[in-house]
Amino acid sequence: MATMQFEQIAVDRVSHRWLSKTRKPTTALAQTTCDFAAGKITALVGPSGCGKSTLLLILRGLLQPSSGEVRFMYGDGSGRLQPGPKPGMATVWQSFNLLPWRTVLDNVAFGLELAGVAKDERYARAEEAIRSVELGGFERHFPAQLSGGMRQRVGLARGLVMMPDILFLDEPFGALDAQTRLYLQEQLAAVVERSGKTVILVTHSIEEAIFLSDTVLVMTARPGRVAARLDIDLPRPRGFDMQNDPRFGELFNEIYGLLRDEVRKSMLSA
Amino acid sequence: MSEHSITAAEAAKTDDAHDDERLRDDTWWYGPVAMVAFLLFWEAAVYFADIPELYLPRPSVIAITLYDLFVHKNLAYDLMLTLYRIFGGFFLAALVGIALGIAMGTSKRIHAICDIFVAAIYPVPKISLVPLLVIWLGSGNIFQIVLSALGCVFPILVNTIIGVRQCDEGLILAARDLGATRSQIQRKVVLPAAVPAIFGGLRLALGISIILIVAAEMQTAKYGLGARLQLAGQILETGQVFAILLLLAILGILLTKGQNQLDRLVSRWRTT
Repeated sequence: MATMQFEQIAVDRVSHRWLSKTRKPTTALAQTTCDFAAGKITALVGPSGCGKSTLLLILRGLLQPSSGEVRFMYGDGSGRLQPGPKPGMATVWQSFNLLPWRTVLDNVAFGLELAGVAKDERYARAEEAIRSVELGGFERHFPAQLSGGMRQRVGLARGLVMMPDILFLDEPFGALDAQTRLYLQEQLAAVVERSGKTVILVTHSIEEAIFLSDTVLVMTARPGRVAARLDIDLPRPRGFDMQNDPRFGELFNEIYGLLRDEVRKSMLSA
Repeated sequence: MSEHSITAAEAAKTDDAHDDERLRDDTWWYGPVAMVAFLLFWEAAVYFADIPELYLPRPSVIAITLYDLFVHKNLAYDLMLTLYRIFGGFFLAALVGIALGIAMGTSKRIHAICDIFVAAIYPVPKISLVPLLVIWLGSGNIFQIVLSALGCVFPILVNTIIGVRQCDEGLILAARDLGATRSQIQRKVVLPAAVPAIFGGLRLALGISIILIVAAEMQTAKYGLGARLQLAGQILETGQVFAILLLLAILGILLTKGQNQLDRLVSRWRTT
């Protein structure tokens, strides 16, 4: 048998319903079908409450969908795909979710510790990951002593140290101020462009989606489903000045045109 | 330009001074000085008003009596016995309270089963269980420890449940993302997150243990600080009564300070 390579995540008619506190059934996702190409950066954009974070949790396997299926598809080069085992995955969260009683070093080493990696090795790997996000010297600090941008870099290092095939980013810059966000977007772009990882980015920022990704999936208001798919054909590496590119403006207008009606709908239904 | 940098440096300096002021506690000696002043007033008042020692001995007499009790009446044995009972009950309760609290805080089923028992036993004044416990366990150390544990277990249990329940869902999600098993989540996320709340429960429990043990010793025991206190009162040795009360007060101060230090050590990540 030829070596099988991870090619894509296939989402097949995934729906998710849940009961709110008032026992009102809410449909977060309705019959969503889409796929995410391996080795590419795919952004999910949509109005708030459209279920993009729900879809991320389902993709990651942290939430069981009410119906439908997520498959990890492998190919042998002949063009035929077949489902296979889950690749390594890690997530970076909007609210960082660092353990406040652990130092930066112990937070980054946490996943390795859970996997039973020996102390020396896990600290060596964690230190390397910390340096790769430019936090060298802060190993002994606690999260409360760091700024938001630094905390999110710890979150990124904690994910990267697991050497995942797929990196999930759930509004990773949502809790940060505008300048920090710009800086971290550039830093993240540099890190993931080099790595060749599969990245799935959930964001409500159209600029961020265009700036970072190869493909943008636009979702509808609740109940969410994927309404459109755009390939971002801007050259890489992308710098901050890319926002002046006329193509950037075209893409922005196109996505915003698709989103505007959805945002209005979601505001009316809320 | 230079003007700017000077103001900036000055601003930094005043900031530092302000920080230092907050760090250095200038008021630490107020309490001890107030205590010394109070004791001097007591000493002088009793001396000049000529109050008989049967009613109110002078602080100096109380201190001498306490010394005498230790040297000639083997009070150290009673002190050790009382401490053993206090901490025996306290640690037994901590073991049961924390373990059961985690189970009740994380499992709906266990909570549903145990909650009605907790609700039934919690409000019973523990001292009212003395007759029953003496029938079952006699009046020895086992009885003392069980009584103290019964009093201590509830604040620890209730605080542990609260601490476990208020654990941030995001932290659990992040741990699951990193591959944590159910038991790893309990040990490495839920339990550490509950530590500040558990410590709050332990703090309350230790106070309760002291109260219950001394009260129970007064009722039933031959030895122990409570028993000696009861005896001294019956034979109208007011000096000894005060001496033992003084010892209990010192014990209370030391235990509280010790807990403060431990709290600071454990919650280092919160204050720094």
